[in-house]
Amino acid sequence: MSFTRGFARQFPPLKVLTEEQVEEIHRGTLQVLWSTGVYIEHERALKLLESNGCKVDYDAMRVRMPPALVEECIRQAPSCFPAPARDPQQTLMIGGNNLCLAVAPGHKTVDPETWEPREATRKENYDAVRILDALPTVHFFSPYTPYFGFQGVPSCMAMLESLAARIRNSTKFQCVGFSNDSEVFAIEMAQAVGIEILGTCAWAPPLALYRDAVESTFRIAEAGFCLRVISGQMMGGTAPASIAGAIVTNNAEVLSGLVLAQLIRPGMRVLAKDFTAPMNMNTGAPAFGGIEIALHNAACNQVFQRYGVPLDNTTAYPNSKMPDYQSASEKAFRVFTAGLSGGNTLLFHGSVHGELTHHPIQAILDDDMAGMVGRFMQGVTVNEEALALDLIEQVGPVPGHFLNAAHTRKWWKLEQFLPQSADRLTYPEWLNSGKRSCVDIARQRMDAILSSHRPQPLTPSQEEAVERVLERARAHYRKQGLITDDEMGQYRESMKSPNYPYE
Amino acid sequence: MSSDILGNLKKAILDYDPDAAAEWARKAVEAGLDPADALSAMTDAIRVIGEGFSAGDLFLPDLVGGADAMTAATPIIEEAIQRTGAKRETVGVVVIGTVYGDIHTIGKTMVATLLQAEGFTVHDIGINVTADAFVAGVRKYKPDILAMSALMTMTSPEQRKVIATLQTEGLRDSVKIMVGGGAITQEFADSIGADGYDPTAPGAAKLARALVGR
Repeated sequence: MSFTRGFARQFPPLKVLTEEQVEEIHRGTLQVLWSTGVYIEHERALKLLESNGCKVDYDAMRVRMPPALVEECIRQAPSCFPAPARDPQQTLMIGGNNLCLAVAPGHKTVDPETWEPREATRKENYDAVRILDALPTVHFFSPYTPYFGFQGVPSCMAMLESLAARIRNSTKFQCVGFSNDSEVFAIEMAQAVGIEILGTCAWAPPLALYRDAVESTFRIAEAGFCLRVISGQMMGGTAPASIAGAIVTNNAEVLSGLVLAQLIRPGMRVLAKDFTAPMNMNTGAPAFGGIEIALHNAACNQVFQRYGVPLDNTTAYPNSKMPDYQSASEKAFRVFTAGLSGGNTLLFHGSVHGELTHHPIQAILDDDMAGMVGRFMQGVTVNEEALALDLIEQVGPVPGHFLNAAHTRKWWKLEQFLPQSADRLTYPEWLNSGKRSCVDIARQRMDAILSSHRPQPLTPSQEEAVERVLERARAHYRKQGLITDDEMGQYRESMKSPNYPYE
Repeated sequence: MSSDILGNLKKAILDYDPDAAAEWARKAVEAGLDPADALSAMTDAIRVIGEGFSAGDLFLPDLVGGADAMTAATPIIEEAIQRTGAKRETVGVVVIGTVYGDIHTIGKTMVATLLQAEGFTVHDIGINVTADAFVAGVRKYKPDILAMSALMTMTSPEQRKVIATLQTEGLRDSVKIMVGGGAITQEFADSIGADGYDPTAPGAAKLARALVGR
């Protein structure tokens, strides 16, 4: 079973809304965009929108978009598009009936004995990228993955150091975020290496788009790259508590971003995102493990199938703190729902607890779960050979059996997905194995990958180009006062290893 | 009569009704009641809500609803206190805000409300607050405590900047500083020279009492 380029769903998507409900949500979205409008903190964007028929209040930075413009821009956006990887064999098609999975980031790593968070080292970050590169169901990398940063790196350099590590240690497609103009250097780095990246335009719900997100949108569009438009709303906090209402607000935000992108660069490749979670009403934190997310995603997937625009689903962060029953159930509902209902991308692998922690052992466990969903999405082959009527006739009732049939030798491998970490031993075998759990097995697989997997390295000139861009960024942020003397000293110290940049 | 008005003022907050809270606050002032008593009735209400929240019987929408009702009534009572020179009971004064570059409001509002429930006078100066604006808030309100929130790793260094600016302006020693938010840890709080940190909103309210020695 090859999953290198994503999972293709071979049956109609799950529908949780009626056609009329989809239309009601669409009409509601158009009404919000025209009557309520959105806040966009960027004069150039406001002028562009006004010249295309939007009503703009410059003092309030409020834009009201006519329905015809919104619908025209939806039509203009491609329904699926190529996402080119450094290794062309790993180039993805995003959209249609394809689901591509990516890495779910964590602020820190964890101690895999105690599951307590701690900052990752440079080596742990680079090794984690290498492990993720080896996992067949990790189709691409999301921004600041696997970790938000690592030891020695000032926070303003975290996004760029993360991208550099991913370009160096993986040949898969890469996505970037934006912070303090980091996208300028990310674009330079990608162009210097000769790859494409997926940029980000992130809303601040409800209905607000700040200057840095708009700048990122312009820069990514002008570089000719593709763009991910995301919201990040919490139902009951920054969005209505009702699922339908929160679909409307998410739609209004991501479609406004899509309109802006299409006006900057007609036909621009846009991946919208439904990043919605209910608010935990005890703490105010996102209830990432909530089943309501899966329902919201499924409904949004249906709406975006009507639009013909690819949709990323809410990152599969668990609320659990370690790989356990809760974690597995929280992740399984999300990835399975995305697969069944037509989500096109999902940040999935490696998150241990929310956005706080990530670990390669978790990513390896997730690789199995992802593979199971990929297998399910392949559906049931029904043809003469698969129906096997002649074989059934030949074997007949007991004592006949199928184990010695050539058909079995061929078909069991086609039909069965073999998880690599799941414990499928008999009870006596399990006792003899030292009672190994799936986490123990995943740890062994991690060690095996680290000792054997060597991603295709950059050429020396590409490597020099990456380091040159990093140096320019360091100088820029130093000048901006975002890196203090102390931080710079520690940063330089962390780069003195003979194995820099890998440890 | 006066107990009816104050009872209704308290009930309006317990009903999460800003219009009724403002209306009963106005009636309290018109009836010539001691504004300090009105404030005390309001604080009683927010304390009940705060305790319910801490016990897990009430939830964030209730806490924020109560805070909104309190906020609607507060300026009316504050104006009467200023005008009449009434003496108010307070555990301490807090200036609170979310740092520059960060527009997250919910955690900050939770802490502000629970501080009110603990009896503090709270001046919420909002989100995306620059270091200079924090300094201006400290000059204006002369607080016992400055509380800063930062949810994002990228914005947490702003808390260091605020403390440095207070230092430069010679105001650092005039105020206790507590920090919080998703991106903050005790280690980080120590490294920037904050006086206190707590990962939860109820914990932050208790910490504030400890910082003012109550």
